[in-house]
Amino acid sequence: MTEVLAAPGPVGAPPDRDVLLEVRSLRTYFKVLDGIVPAVDDISFSLKRGQTLGIVGESGSGKSVTALTIMRLLDIPPASIGDGSEVWFDGREILSMPLDEMRKIRGNDAAMIFQEPLTSLNPVFTIGDQIAEQVELHLKIKKRAAMDRAIESLQLVGIPSPERRVKQYPHEMSGGMRQRVMIAMALSCEPKLLIADEPTTALDVTIQAQILELLKSIQQRTGSALLLITHDLGVVAEMVDNVIVMYTGQIVEQGTVHEVLLEPRDPYTMGLLESIPSVEKRGGRLSAIKGVVPSPFNLPPACRFEPRCPYAWDRCRTVPPDLNRVGSGGHLARCHLHTSEGAGRLPDALQRHRTALNLGRTLPTGGH
Amino acid sequence: MEAREARMDSAFDHGLAVPQVRGKLRRRLVPGLLRARAILYGILAIILVIAFTLAVSVVFLRIKGAGDLLITLWPAYAFVLAGYLATRGFKDRKLWAFGLAMTVGVLLAGLGVALVLGVMGVSGGDGNKAFAVVLLGLIFVGFGLPLTWSLTGSRRWFTELRGAEGPAIRTADVLEQEVTVADLVIHPGAVPAVAMTVAPTVAMTEGERHGNVDPLVSVRGLKKHFPIVGGLLRRQIGTIYAVDGVDFDIYPGEVFSLVGESGCGKTTLGRTLLQLTPPTDGRVVFNGLELEDVDPDDMRPLRRKMQIIFQDPFGSLNPRMPVSDIIGEGLFAQGITNRAERDKRVEDSLEIVGLRRDYTRRFPHEFSGGQRQRIGVARALALNPDFVVCDEPVSALDVSIQSQVLNLLLDLKRDLNLTYLFISHNLSVVEYFSDRIGVMYLGKIAEEGTVEELYRNPRHPYTVALLSAIPDPDPRKRRKRLVLKGDVPSPAAPPSGCRFHTRCWLRERLGNPEQCSTVEPVLRVLDDTGHRAACHFAEEINEAVVQETAATQSVLETAVAG
Ligand SMILES: Nc1ncnc2c1ncn2[C@@H]1O[C@H](COP(=O)(O)OP(=O)(O)OP(=O)(O)O)[C@@H](O)[C@H]1O
Ligand code: SF4
Ligand code: SF4
Ligand SMILES: [Mg+2]
Repeated sequence: MTEVLAAPGPVGAPPDRDVLLEVRSLRTYFKVLDGIVPAVDDISFSLKRGQTLGIVGESGSGKSVTALTIMRLLDIPPASIGDGSEVWFDGREILSMPLDEMRKIRGNDAAMIFQEPLTSLNPVFTIGDQIAEQVELHLKIKKRAAMDRAIESLQLVGIPSPERRVKQYPHEMSGGMRQRVMIAMALSCEPKLLIADEPTTALDVTIQAQILELLKSIQQRTGSALLLITHDLGVVAEMVDNVIVMYTGQIVEQGTVHEVLLEPRDPYTMGLLESIPSVEKRGGRLSAIKGVVPSPFNLPPACRFEPRCPYAWDRCRTVPPDLNRVGSGGHLARCHLHTSEGAGRLPDALQRHRTALNLGRTLPTGGH
Repeated sequence: MEAREARMDSAFDHGLAVPQVRGKLRRRLVPGLLRARAILYGILAIILVIAFTLAVSVVFLRIKGAGDLLITLWPAYAFVLAGYLATRGFKDRKLWAFGLAMTVGVLLAGLGVALVLGVMGVSGGDGNKAFAVVLLGLIFVGFGLPLTWSLTGSRRWFTELRGAEGPAIRTADVLEQEVTVADLVIHPGAVPAVAMTVAPTVAMTEGERHGNVDPLVSVRGLKKHFPIVGGLLRRQIGTIYAVDGVDFDIYPGEVFSLVGESGCGKTTLGRTLLQLTPPTDGRVVFNGLELEDVDPDDMRPLRRKMQIIFQDPFGSLNPRMPVSDIIGEGLFAQGITNRAERDKRVEDSLEIVGLRRDYTRRFPHEFSGGQRQRIGVARALALNPDFVVCDEPVSALDVSIQSQVLNLLLDLKRDLNLTYLFISHNLSVVEYFSDRIGVMYLGKIAEEGTVEELYRNPRHPYTVALLSAIPDPDPRKRRKRLVLKGDVPSPAAPPSGCRFHTRCWLRERLGNPEQCSTVEPVLRVLDDTGHRAACHFAEEINEAVVQETAATQSVLETAVAG
């Protein structure tokens, strides 16, 4: 549908050796009663070995489906993957791979952590059994050694008295503990890629801080690449090198964490950052993105953000915007403002963004 | 000078003035009397059952002989046994528990009919006797149920069952927090007298800082404990100290926020304050009116003035009700029974929260999360309240919708002159939204102060850690966080002395002073701004100490205290 400037490398050929994960023109659909939901709509990105990438977006933007498609954890049907979609992992295309081969990769080289650890742990087996089973399967070692390995990995994530913990069941642990166990499980086979889908959303702030610090230190120590999915711009700012912003199944902005969070160039990202409450905005109103996310069955015809966009003009209602290059580096934004047609409007839009971002900063605080 | 001294006298250790009370709203009957009445009715009912059974057996069925008579009395046994078991189980001996016991007794009697019928039929016993017993059983089921229903005030029983109280605590919830049953029965150590004698250093009362206005809401020593029931007989095996002695004032027109981790008692405090659930102890004075042990039914005149917006925009609206009924329900309860007038009020309040007037016939599932939260706001505002408890009103919403709802709440506050108690775990939202903040930890306020004071100059180690945990969306500000150890302890077994001592970084830094684990710190006034903190060593905290602690901390150790 739209041409993607970011399309990495010629289709069919593996990416460079230093690229661990490369996603090309990925489309995932769900067939539901009311029609077809394009949950992931033509997404391309790549992640180098040992690097960290964040995917942000609001609920329903397709973040989780992207991760699940990469891990091939979706049921097909109801899901279906579009023709021409490719996912290259460690030099191999994994969407076309036989399932049992994929299963080997999933435990060994790529691991995933989910939002609610309780639902992804089996309630009837002890923590130790679950980790050991995975280790046994993937590292092909004896049961005893696997259990030792399980204890070791619990120790690695800072769980006290792991010898006792391996005998416990998931429900006997708190949410933070369970998330640590999930991380231990994911790391027990020393994966090259760790995908964390909202790993701290269900947790309290102080526990979130524990888990994020832990993820950071382990990622640095083991040198694995991290794909972090979250709706929290604060978590992204803290954790990753590069960021992708998603809206209704598409990438709307992509760049380094500094580019995207400090110099956003897509009106949706700009709006998100403007609407974050901060102390400087006290006494004033928050700037808000008007309206709601459109229904997947009734997407606006051209730019999907158009009904909510404060900078929209005629062209936005007729021509779907591409991911356009912003500046000289890899910074991309899906917006007509960054084409020759929109160039005249760009300075004004950026000025309005700066004003909205600083809203209330010049006012005296208080108002009570 | 004399006035000042009088004030000092009246100021408790929490440094707040004694609330001015102009009137009281209390239960029509004190609970003791209610209970006595229930028990009396119960005994009467049992005597009635026995007398009636004997009369029918002897006079009409001509059953003689003590043995036979004892058999015919079986419905009475079932009745008494069930009543006993049920009241044993419901430790707080609520009236409804008694009503339930009665009804269970009657139903058991009904079951017994079938049993006795079977036994007698098989053993070829006396057909006449069998008939008598069956008849008696049926009579009890037929008449006993309506009788006990009306005697024991079942209306109240149902309102309470429906969830004024809610199934607040199940044993499983508690066990999840890693507490053994042995832990549960330990009562938190009594507070040694020394702690209470610390003189308050109040130079200026909170009232004076607010221009000598009386607080709209005063809370003193408020407690809400939930029994933990377990085992076959549903006995009480412990207590959850959900809110355990809280004092604060909320002044007209301000936003007072409560922050803290999940399970620290924020929601319970909000609900107890509104008397949606009766407090275990303590006082709430609303606009000079003391709310003392008010029955949820009797709150109606006050409900209009105090409203609540719930956390979950999906769970808090009845999916089978159209918007007109969701919002109109409260109006109806307030006596606005005229349909046309009610509809107009509903449409007005929809308009106030920025929804279309013609949305009244729609059902909740036809709205997005943000719109549903607006409906929740409209419902709260339809009655023209003065005071609104906002319980995590934006937590379930996406960022782009969150700011819309926050703006709405602020606009309404200004236009309608509202006072908010704002409950949230999102510290950035709270900083933007509030005037004063109370930080809660395990059922108590750890620190309280103005936004400026609390965020710039935190004086409790817990507040410091909370602030350090906020993820900042500015990547230039990446820093080493001060990370707390372990999880929040179970509110069923709060640690001795300072409740925070099991996770406290300051205590560790100071070489684990004994005071922390033996003496409960008082929420004491620290300065002229009314800044209060419950820490023996609040004066030791400063920016340098915090940074140094963060820098030397090991990430892996942070789980150990769990
Ligand atoms: N099993 C399914 N069947 C049908 N539709 C689905 C299914 N799973 C996801 N979707 C749809 O796919 C879209 C993207 O969903 P996804 O879960 O990836 O969003 P998300 O960004 O992860 O949101 P959240 O932050 O709420 O987790 C949504 O429109 C959703 O309704
Ligand atoms: S293309 Fe137009 S409508 Fe879409 S984001 Fe850019 S300016 Fe807004
Ligand atoms: S009293 Fe002791 S344990 Fe409690 S917060 Fe202060 S330093 Fe920490
Ligand atoms: Mg998701």
